[in-house]
Amino acid sequence: MDAAIAFLISPPAVLLISLLFEGIDRKIHARMQKRIGPPVTQPFYDLIKLFSKERIVPITASARVFETMPMIAAAVSLLGASILLSNILSGSSVIGDLILVMYLLAMSSVALMIGGSASGNPYGVVGFSRKMSMMIAYEIPMFIAIISVAFGSSPSLAINNIIRFQISLGLPLAASRPSMALAAATFLLCMPAAASVVPFDIPEAKTEIIYGFLIEYGGPYLALAKIAKAVSNFALTLLASAVFLYVPLLLGENVLLNLGISLSLCLIESLLIMFVTITVPRTVLARLKIGQAFKFYWMLPLILSISSIILSSVGL
Amino acid sequence: MKSPWIFHLNTGSCNGCDIEIVAAFTPRYDLERFGCLLVGSPRHADVLLVTGPVTRQMLPRLIRVYEQIPEPKVVVAVGTCASSGSPFLGSEMVEGPVDRIIPVDAYIVGCPPRPEAIARGIIMAVMSKFR
Amino acid sequence: MVVKRSTERTEKEVEYTRLRIPFGPVHPALKEPVLLRISVRGEEIIDVDMTLGHVHRGIESLAEGRNLIQTLYLIERICGICSHSHTTCFIQALEEIGSIIPSERALYLRTLIFEMERIHSHLLLLGVMAYEIGFDTLFMFTWHVREKILDLFEKITGNRIHHAMNTIGGVRWDLTSQMAGEVKAYMREIEKSTKYIHSAFTDGTVEKRICNLGVLDYNDAIKLCVVGPTARGSGVNIDVRKDHPYAAYDELKGDFSVITRKDGDVYARTEVRIFEVFESINIIKAILDRLPNGSIRPEENVFRIMKRIPEGEAVSLVEAPRGELLYFVKTDGKGGLIRLKVRTPTFSNLLSLKRMLVGCEIADIPVIVASIDPCLSCTNRVTIINQEKGKSKVIDMDSLRRMVRRKWMRR
Repeated sequence: MDAAIAFLISPPAVLLISLLFEGIDRKIHARMQKRIGPPVTQPFYDLIKLFSKERIVPITASARVFETMPMIAAAVSLLGASILLSNILSGSSVIGDLILVMYLLAMSSVALMIGGSASGNPYGVVGFSRKMSMMIAYEIPMFIAIISVAFGSSPSLAINNIIRFQISLGLPLAASRPSMALAAATFLLCMPAAASVVPFDIPEAKTEIIYGFLIEYGGPYLALAKIAKAVSNFALTLLASAVFLYVPLLLGENVLLNLGISLSLCLIESLLIMFVTITVPRTVLARLKIGQAFKFYWMLPLILSISSIILSSVGL
Repeated sequence: MKSPWIFHLNTGSCNGCDIEIVAAFTPRYDLERFGCLLVGSPRHADVLLVTGPVTRQMLPRLIRVYEQIPEPKVVVAVGTCASSGSPFLGSEMVEGPVDRIIPVDAYIVGCPPRPEAIARGIIMAVMSKFR
Repeated sequence: MVVKRSTERTEKEVEYTRLRIPFGPVHPALKEPVLLRISVRGEEIIDVDMTLGHVHRGIESLAEGRNLIQTLYLIERICGICSHSHTTCFIQALEEIGSIIPSERALYLRTLIFEMERIHSHLLLLGVMAYEIGFDTLFMFTWHVREKILDLFEKITGNRIHHAMNTIGGVRWDLTSQMAGEVKAYMREIEKSTKYIHSAFTDGTVEKRICNLGVLDYNDAIKLCVVGPTARGSGVNIDVRKDHPYAAYDELKGDFSVITRKDGDVYARTEVRIFEVFESINIIKAILDRLPNGSIRPEENVFRIMKRIPEGEAVSLVEAPRGELLYFVKTDGKGGLIRLKVRTPTFSNLLSLKRMLVGCEIADIPVIVASIDPCLSCTNRVTIINQEKGKSKVIDMDSLRRMVRRKWMRR
C-alpha cells in the first residue's frame, strides 16, 4: 500500500481498534468475575458522554499546563500508534521508527503525569511521584529489550526490517534464538506496568490515591486521557506481536502476500497478547506496593533484558 | 446516555444503603452491564448518589461535591433517610433531607432499598434527564 | 551560630519534604466518612490525626424523646451491618429492667440471626479488604457468597439488611422446619466458599500486601483497650460470648472456640475473621440441631409489654461482629427512655489506628483502616441533653411526628 494513504487511514483505524480492544478487555474481565459486563462498544459511549460534558479547571491548577497536557498525551500516543500501523501497512522501512514509537508512547504518559501534577491536588502529586518511579522501573528493561532486538535481528532499528528478517528466517523472532526469547519475555513482563493495570496500577490506585494524576480531570480532558491510555495499550500489544511474534509467516506465502489477512492475524494475535498481559493479571492479582513493584522490575526483567543483550551481542 | 458514572456520597447513613449500592455492582446485579461505573472522584461522575440524612458536618461537603461534578449531572437520593430524613428527622444534628440542600432528580425509598430498586432508580433518573 | 543555622535548615527541610494529605471524609476506600489527616515524607507516614463526627446524627438524644418501640427501630438504624447486635443489646437491657424472661426458642432464634449476621459482616469485610488491595475479583466473589446469607435473612425475617427480628421478650418471626433445612444446606455451601476465600488470602500478591503490616502487639492491644477481632488478632483472648454468655450462648459454649492469633498484623486480623466464620457455622449447626420448641414471644401486642417495663436502669453487653458492644439504658417507667448510652466496638478500636499507621506507606492506609473493620456510623454519637420540644407552632413534618409520638405514649 502507498505510504501516504496508509498514514492517512491509520489514525482513525487506530482509534477504532484500540477502543474496541478496551471494550473486549472489559467484557472478558467481567465474564471472569461471573458478571455479564458492559457491551463491547462501551468505551465509545463513555467517550461520547465525556466529550459532551462541562470543562472544569480547578482554581489551584496552573491552567495552561493542566489544559494542554491531555491533548499532547492523546496526540502523541495516537501519532506513535499510527506510525506503527502505517509502517506495517505500507511496508516502508523507516530507520529508527522502533525507537520513535517507544519514545512517543513513553512521552504520552509523561505528558499526562505532568498535567495531573499541575492540578494542585496532593493526590496528583503523589501519583506523579509514583508514576515517575514506575517509569524508571519498567522503561529501562523495556528499552534494553528493544535494543537487544535491534542488535539481534538484521541488525536494524526499522520495524519492517525486523518483520522481513522474521519472514526470511521462517520463524518468529522470539523462537529464533535464546537472546530474543529473553527479550520478548522482558517486553511482555513490562506490559502490565506500561498499561498501568493491577498489579502495577500503583500510580492510579483507586482505593489509595483516587486515580492519582487523573483525579482532577473530568469531561473532555478525561476523554483525552482515556484515548491516550487505550491507544498506547493497543500500540504496545501491536508492537509486541509485530516485532517478537510475527505469526502470519507460519501460515506460508499466500497469507503473507495478502495484506488484509496477515494484518488481521496480527491484530488477533495482539488481542491475545492483551488478554495474557493485561486482562489476566488485572483479574487474578492484587495490587503491589511501589517498593515491591520496583524490586520486581529491577530483579527479574532487568536481569532478563541484560542477559538478553549480552547473549545477542555474542550472537546467540 | 449509556454510561452513567456514579459517585457515591455518604452523608451520615447507617451503611445499609451504602452496602446495597456496592452490592448492586457485584455479580448478581451487575450494574456495569448498563455502563455504570463506581468512580472515586466527583470530577469523573455524572450521577451523585446521596445516602443518609445529611449531618451537620457533611453539609459543606455535600455542597462541595455537588459543585465539583461537571454538568450535566443527576442527583439521586437513595434510601428513606436521604429522601425524607425519616427516622432521624427532628435531630439537631441533621440538616436534611437532601432536597432541602441540593436539587434532587430521583428518590429511591426503602430502608435500605434493594439493589434492583437502586439500579432501576438510577437508570430511570438518567433516562428522564437526558432524553 | 553555625550550629543554630544548620538546625534551622533541617527543620525547614523537614517541613518542606512533609506533604499533608487529607484521607477522607470522602474517599473511595471509605464507604463511610472519617477524616484522617496524614503527614507523609515520600511514601512514609510520619503522623496521623483523626477527626470524627461526620456521621453524627444525634441518635441518643433522639431516643430520649421516643418510646421504647420507636427507639428499637431507631437504634436498629445506628448501623446497617450490625443492626441485630444493637437491638439484641438494647432488648437485653429492657428485659433485665422488666424481668421478662424470653422463651428458650426465642433465645436460640436470636442467636441464630446473631451468628448469621456475624458471617455476613465478616464476609463483607473480607470483600472490602480485597477491594482495598485492588483485587476486584476476590471482592466480587466474596460479595457473591454474601448474597446467599442475605437470601437467608430475607427468607427468615423478610429483610436483607435491617432484620427487625427482635422484640421485647422474644423474636418476631419463627423458623419453620423447611427453612431450617435450607439454612443447613446454605451453611455447607458457605463453608466451602469461605475455605476458597481463605486460600485466596494466602496467595502470593495478597500475602505481600497484608503480612507484617500495621502490627499491634499484645501490650499495646491491652493498653489501647481494643476489642473484638482486632484484640484477638493481637493474642488477647476476649470474647463476650464466652466471658459473659448471653442469649443462648451459655448452652452453646461447647460448640465454638475463641480464635486468637499472636502476630497482631493485618493478616492475623483477617485470618481471625475467616476462622470465626467457620466457628459461626458450627454454632448455627448446633442451634439447628437443638432448637427447642415453644412460643417465640410472650404476647402479640408489644405495647402492652412495653408499658409493663418499670423505671430502672441496666447495662447490657453483646459481642457484635466488631467486638464488645455496650448499652446503658435508663427507663422512665412510662414506656419512654430517660437516658441511652451506646459504646460501640469501633470507638474502642479506632484509636489503635495511629499506632498501626505511623511508619507505614500511603499504600497501606486503606488496608490498615479496613483491617480494624471500622463501622463509623456506629461510632459517631454524642449526646445533646438540651432538647427543646414542641417549640414551633407551624405543623411541619417535625411537629407531626411529635404528635404521633405523644399519641403512642398515651396508649
